Amino acid sequence: MKLRSPIVAILWETWRVTRVEAAWRLVLGIVGGLAVLAVFSAQREVIRDFSAAIALILIVFPHFLGWLSMAKLNSGRPGFPLYLQYTRPVRTAVLVGVPMAYLAATPAAIYLVSALLLRVTSGYPFPLLPVAAWIAALNVVYAATNWSTRNRAIQMLGAMVASGAWVTLANHRLNAEEIQGSYDWPPNLWPTRFDFPLTDYALIGAIALASFGVAVARVARQRHGDAPAALPPTVGFPGFPERLVNLFQFPCPTSSATRAQVWFELKSSGLPVLAIGLLLAILNPLVFAITSPIEFVRPFAIMFAMASVLAVLILGINAFGIRWRQGRAYASAFEATQAYGTARLAGIKVLVRSVCVLPALIAVGLSIWACLSFITVGEAHLRSGLRVIEGAVGALTGYQQVALAVVASIGVAVMVALVAASCALAARYPRRLNIASGLYLLFWVLVLALLALDGHRGIGLLFGPTRWIDAPALVFATVYLSWRAFADRLLSPRSACVVVLVSVAFGAAWVTLLQAAGVQLAGLPMTDVVWMLSPALLPLTASVLAPWSLSRIRHT
Amino acid sequence: MEQPVVDITDLSRSFGTKDALDHLSFRANDGQVYGLVGANGAGKTTLLKHLLGLLRAQSGSVRVFGLDPVRDPVGVLSRVGYLSEERELPEWMRVDELMAYTQAYHPTWDASYARDLLETFALDPSKKIKELSKGMRAQAGLVAAVAHRPELLILDEPSSGLDAVVRRDILDAIVRTVADDGRTVIFSSHLLDEVERMSDHVTMIHNGRVTLSGALDDVRRGYQRSRVRFVEHFDHPPALDSALAMEGGGRTWSVVHSGSLEQFRHSVLALGGEVVESRDATLEEIFLARAGRNRQQVEVA
Repeated sequence: MKLRSPIVAILWETWRVTRVEAAWRLVLGIVGGLAVLAVFSAQREVIRDFSAAIALILIVFPHFLGWLSMAKLNSGRPGFPLYLQYTRPVRTAVLVGVPMAYLAATPAAIYLVSALLLRVTSGYPFPLLPVAAWIAALNVVYAATNWSTRNRAIQMLGAMVASGAWVTLANHRLNAEEIQGSYDWPPNLWPTRFDFPLTDYALIGAIALASFGVAVARVARQRHGDAPAALPPTVGFPGFPERLVNLFQFPCPTSSATRAQVWFELKSSGLPVLAIGLLLAILNPLVFAITSPIEFVRPFAIMFAMASVLAVLILGINAFGIRWRQGRAYASAFEATQAYGTARLAGIKVLVRSVCVLPALIAVGLSIWACLSFITVGEAHLRSGLRVIEGAVGALTGYQQVALAVVASIGVAVMVALVAASCALAARYPRRLNIASGLYLLFWVLVLALLALDGHRGIGLLFGPTRWIDAPALVFATVYLSWRAFADRLLSPRSACVVVLVSVAFGAAWVTLLQAAGVQLAGLPMTDVVWMLSPALLPLTASVLAPWSLSRIRHT
Repeated sequence: MEQPVVDITDLSRSFGTKDALDHLSFRANDGQVYGLVGANGAGKTTLLKHLLGLLRAQSGSVRVFGLDPVRDPVGVLSRVGYLSEERELPEWMRVDELMAYTQAYHPTWDASYARDLLETFALDPSKKIKELSKGMRAQAGLVAAVAHRPELLILDEPSSGLDAVVRRDILDAIVRTVADDGRTVIFSSHLLDEVERMSDHVTMIHNGRVTLSGALDDVRRGYQRSRVRFVEHFDHPPALDSALAMEGGGRTWSVVHSGSLEQFRHSVLALGGEVVESRDATLEEIFLARAGRNRQQVEVA
């Protein structure tokens, strides 16, 4: 391969890093859009129109997240990702401008291809250039925000402001004229609704120019004045900023390995998650209070609240500390070489992370509940939704509330364990297997989404669509993993007893909640009973999957 | 018969299509220092990772203290000290926290020895790992690896990042102390002079195979470097028995060869030449000869 110029070389590198993500975006948009259109093609015109609107959202949404894969280049560290190019004889403007142009043009192109395809196949007038231009603008701003600073707080704030402004603009344009009895932007209005004025393109040009200028100036500072950015990266640990980790100063116990490991987990990841959760719980009322009087920024507070919950969940999931560097995943060799059993290590990691994630989630949840109850007085639909949840919880007996607490607590631990195990297995096994698993999950989510759109509700929606695959898979996976865990000496009879006890407690609580939800198991066919009770197996599955997956990544 | 500390039999490991280890066997006994040498990608680190249970044997067996490090990580790792090539340490920890954390795993931790070593290295216990230079990280990692007085010390490229004084005086002293206490050291290194200085045994690995293994003195005695002069002019290296590598051109050649010197003299004589001088080959010369790096003819200046 011969790369004829630095520009081609930079483009090639950026393409190599982002090509899989670009493919995912394209596939997700097209497959999702076509599926929605196909499923509802035989329905009434109103529903068909609505499905076209969903398809439009599906092809726009993937470009709303920025480029996740670019973080591979600097191992997730903040700052300009192509820092290895600093020592090349290339001007900073080129170094910044070329990848920025690529990262803006590619999502626009992906959107255009998806929209054209849907336009041709469905006949709906999916908008082309105006939306593509705004997608490009959003991605330019994301790039500039992420590259201009190594301060994560500023990066997050910048991204939130950019996406908030973008959503607000879209909301303003699409809902400019209210249509009674329908949403405000049905497909027959798209040609006019999306016919943005020429000033938009001037504004997009100005945004791009300003973003480029800021990014060049700031990256030039990193290149010339900020020595750490120019140094080769040392092998770091995944996770939280060191300043946050060292916020909690308490000595490492030397009396036992278990206590030392708990200290390690608490300090390195558990307490930072809890601290972030508490901080978000404090910030939520502030954001609601500030945005409440101004109607058009009020959605920002709702977005922030949703992002708070997501943030705690996302920060809480990588309990095994798998780290990604230059596209490869590793377990920490430092921890892997400590004289500690794999099952106990997995147990401590999952428990400590769960114990910290649960209060963080509760704090954020309570803060959002308080905000919606006392601050956002005007949002009637939110308040009514809230009342439904409050009514349902209030109607539970004391015993049922204990069951709910048990299911929630063990459920969080199960979620942490399963996601940590998935991260470990994704790091351990080939990409093809990961893609297959990803496609299955995508299929599952898509089926759920389509059923929800088609009016299905409740617990049947959650577990119904692929029941003939999920329930047997869960049973066989649990049996196989239990056998492997015993064969590999990961589980002892004593720990197996503890696991069984926890599973029984969860199962009992689960059945109690099913009854509280009005599900009469006695009146259901046996297959449905088995399928509805299958989630009770999850704690058992997680308890054997977590140590087994950690073992697979510890001893590759 | 005494059980070896490390017993690897017929170990193979591949990454994709690349064979990192190819039916490799290796044994290590008490109180000896074993040096692993080999080019980049030869398989040294892969071998050491198998000893720690970080890699699972695809075929063959790995036993450390008679235990399988994958099935019994606690049994093995509690008796092992390890310094990784990448010096991977949690950056957020302070040096004293690293010591306390490591101590918790090892009841045999010798706090005064750890303190002495930290003082010798002039490492500030209150400094964060993040603030340490590469060499200082290596020193901190080394203290954490040896302060519990492990029965087996595994060092992967221990000199990397250490300055010459620390390397020569302190590392050598630590390794020697460990071995003199009747414990075992296995280390890998690119620096052949270091291996020559510190090791009792040397094992050369090339393309995942052991090409040479034995006590250092035996290895060195088994190879000579001789300068030979021929009456006839040779454009290409002449064919000599037991010659592994030849340098030179025309009538004068330097040859690294194995076997007895007498046998080699006869071989030279048969081609109408004579051995002008001969000495024991250095480890570097043996390594280059065994690795096949030095077989080309070099024009005499």
